[in-house]
Amino acid sequence: MMNLLIDSLPRWGRVGVRAWAVALKGLVCLRRRRPHPSPLPGGEGVLSRCIVLFAAMTAAATAHAQPIELRDDRGATYRFTAAPQRIVTLLPSITETVCALGACAKLVGTDRYSNWPASVLLLPKLGGLEDAQVERIVALRPDVVLAAKSARVIDRLEALGLRVVVVESQTHADVKRSAQLIATLLGRPQEAQRLWQEIERDMDRAAARVPAALRGKRVYFEVSSAPYAAGASSFIGETLARLKLGNIVPPALGPFPKLNPEYVVRARPDVVMASRIAVDSMAARPGWQTLAALHGHSCGFETQPYETLIRPGPRMGEAALLMADCLAGLESPR
Amino acid sequence: MSALPVVDAASDTAGTTAAFALTDAARRRRLAIALVVAAVLLIAAGLMVGSQGWSWSAFRADLADTQAGLILGEIRLPRTVGALMVGGLLGLSGAVAQGLFRNPLADPYLLGSAAGASFAVVLVLTAGSMSGHAIGFATAAWLARFGLVAAAFAGALAGVLLTLALARGAQEGVRLLLAGVVVGVVLGAASDLFTTVSPEALRGKQVFMLGSTGFLGWASVTMLGAGLALALPLGMRLSRALDALSLGDDSAASLGLDLPRIRMALVVLLAMCTGLAVSQSGLVAFVGLVAPHLVRRCAPAPHAYTLAASAGAGGVLLLAADVLARGLIAPQELPVGVLTALLGGGYLLWLLHRRRVA
Amino acid sequence: MSDLRTRKLRVALAGRLVLHDVSCSFHPGWTAIVGPNGAGKSTLLRALAGLIPLAGGSVRLDGQDIATLSPAGRARRIAWLAQQAPVSGELTVRETVRLGRLPHLGLFGSPTAKDERIVDDAMLTTECRDWQHRRLHELSGGERQRVMLARVLATEAPVLLLDEPTTHLDPPHQVALARLFKQLAASRTVVSVLHDLPLALHADRLLVLRRGAVQAAGSHDDPALHAALTASFDHAVRIEQRGARAVVLPQLED
Repeated sequence: MMNLLIDSLPRWGRVGVRAWAVALKGLVCLRRRRPHPSPLPGGEGVLSRCIVLFAAMTAAATAHAQPIELRDDRGATYRFTAAPQRIVTLLPSITETVCALGACAKLVGTDRYSNWPASVLLLPKLGGLEDAQVERIVALRPDVVLAAKSARVIDRLEALGLRVVVVESQTHADVKRSAQLIATLLGRPQEAQRLWQEIERDMDRAAARVPAALRGKRVYFEVSSAPYAAGASSFIGETLARLKLGNIVPPALGPFPKLNPEYVVRARPDVVMASRIAVDSMAARPGWQTLAALHGHSCGFETQPYETLIRPGPRMGEAALLMADCLAGLESPR
Repeated sequence: MSALPVVDAASDTAGTTAAFALTDAARRRRLAIALVVAAVLLIAAGLMVGSQGWSWSAFRADLADTQAGLILGEIRLPRTVGALMVGGLLGLSGAVAQGLFRNPLADPYLLGSAAGASFAVVLVLTAGSMSGHAIGFATAAWLARFGLVAAAFAGALAGVLLTLALARGAQEGVRLLLAGVVVGVVLGAASDLFTTVSPEALRGKQVFMLGSTGFLGWASVTMLGAGLALALPLGMRLSRALDALSLGDDSAASLGLDLPRIRMALVVLLAMCTGLAVSQSGLVAFVGLVAPHLVRRCAPAPHAYTLAASAGAGGVLLLAADVLARGLIAPQELPVGVLTALLGGGYLLWLLHRRRVA
Repeated sequence: MSDLRTRKLRVALAGRLVLHDVSCSFHPGWTAIVGPNGAGKSTLLRALAGLIPLAGGSVRLDGQDIATLSPAGRARRIAWLAQQAPVSGELTVRETVRLGRLPHLGLFGSPTAKDERIVDDAMLTTECRDWQHRRLHELSGGERQRVMLARVLATEAPVLLLDEPTTHLDPPHQVALARLFKQLAASRTVVSVLHDLPLALHADRLLVLRRGAVQAAGSHDDPALHAALTASFDHAVRIEQRGARAVVLPQLED
């Protein structure tokens, strides 16, 4: 009951109340001590218990009061007096990062597309990038909201007094930096290093699994059927580069260019990667039936694995392994 | 009847009326010639512009290439001709819609065809992405074979049928319009519901909404051509009815027109043309709205001419947008819907400006 | 070929009965339908034209129920002119008048030389041939009415139903149109709804409507008709016979 009441206060209130509690308990203990330094058994026991309690309360209070300073991807600086206990995330890759850093239990709400790990599915879903439910987010009383730069709701939430930390991940370097940022925010800065090392390890393993015959071959990775391709400068392109594969889209075209379909036909990729539905429909596109890659050198991913591939987050290593497994299963090129 | 007063001192003399007549016919002729010339030039441009942008040397190289038949014949030519035809269908539908509703702001998507088509697309994409999870593989395979094109067409027709059912027939224009708006809103909400479940459907829907001429092949061109070949004559036959409708519903009925049947025929024509266009190239904005305005500005005429000319103007507009979309940032492509909005919207702005000045 | 009769005509609009058992007949000549606002005059005209469904009774043209006629057949024999309505579209005067040939040509027929001659004659009769290539929306209200009248004439229908054709026109135009009606009435059945009592009293016959029922019908110089007319207008006017003409005197003083 008391806890509920305390929880309903804002930040400063909680700290204040705890400080008061500490002081009060200390006073009570002292008063207990003064009147009867009696030979009654248990007198010293009470005193030692009081001291232990007092010490514990002080330790807890000071632990809560450890400040965290960080600078998010907007350039805004924040100062948290303690690691946030209630976190709302508005992007699947951010959700995954928080969980990969071991703070899944602190999540109180995510966006509707976050679906990994499975425990996240039980959390309240707060809308997408364009239509986040401001009221529900505020009602959850988060200590911090983690969002991408392009979320429309940021200004609104900040106007309502919430703290929004913006995390943007476009490249591998971004993912590493974001992990570091979130780990710092969570009060566990060393976890980011561990996570990144795991990702790197998986990438190396994946690179080893790619058949030698496919090294250096050029890949066309389609992210949407307009067609939007993953260029060499995107995180997907970087993963492909780690796997020692080329990309028909050079870095000059940007991370996710919308291509003229003719370009893909002319470029004659050696391997095609996309969702399974897209791969199945590619042969019907005018001129695409001439793509040799569509006859045995295509990787069509089902929905769940495909989502892993297109999220720039802690599962990038897993994504690399998925790509490598598919490539290993392809027939060797003529 | 010389007792009738002279109406205004500036009554035309026979000579001036003859001059007016000449001007009208001349304007129509000029517009027709301009559209034909523009179409020919744009087709040539469409053959030249590819993933390397506007480059004469690249075009020469393409011609000499062993892949010439593939690149030019299989990719660029059908895409160019297809864009012309889609624009033609949209321009024709736009002119029909504006005549049917007597409203210069009407566009062919008014009767729920756009909402129905995008809902069907979302449905098929959601089912595809959920195959094995929520629905059986067999159902998913059947839906995949059905294809997005067929789904969009069926969806457009279903949307219009829903509107007709809601308006209980095509009797009153206002009721039909309201029903169309309601159907649009409801189906839009239903689409949103499905896209919350499946991000793949959301991506597919966004692509659909912006429109794309990128994948028009010879199969598409055949269907579009057949559609246009049926729609144009039908439209011409109904054009006199549209003229009579411009006098008012009751006046048109008093001239012997079976209004319910004729309106139904016009709505069916609208649905088929829009459905065919939308199923092949997604929701391209503005073409249906702007093409009839362009024609009316350059050569006002009865609907027999306006329908055909709007088809031509729509085709030219969409093809111009397609060529620009391909050429401006090659090898990347702008969404063609953005360019039609720029071209069409720009033209409307210019019209407004002219009216203010004049 | 132009006897229009109604028998116990009932028309309901929005659930309310607007015409109660109206029985009247119209013969060659000019008949004016008059009455206070809301009497149902325009509704009666539209029922006569077959434009609205009937709740009871029938309209017969030369003995034949018009509901049994095809739309084109009816349009060839009964022509209807709307009250001034805003006009959309880009039609010229000539193209508008040519639409009057629709009942004969249908949607698919092409106008022949005979049709063009009829269009010319109609425009000459209403004196709008000089502007035949101007667009409708460029004309004034009065000019547009003349064009619409030409369109009605081009249908060659023996029965002309004209709904308030002189409203919004100034006296010279009103007089000119009234003269035209008299001229046309010599060979046709002309029925017009008129608000303007003095003008209406120039018609051959008058039909007085009030609250959806016929109050009186008779010749323009019939005293009983005058009495019924003043009664239907709640004695706001008095009608006096002065020589060959009846005169309408608004009663401003009690």
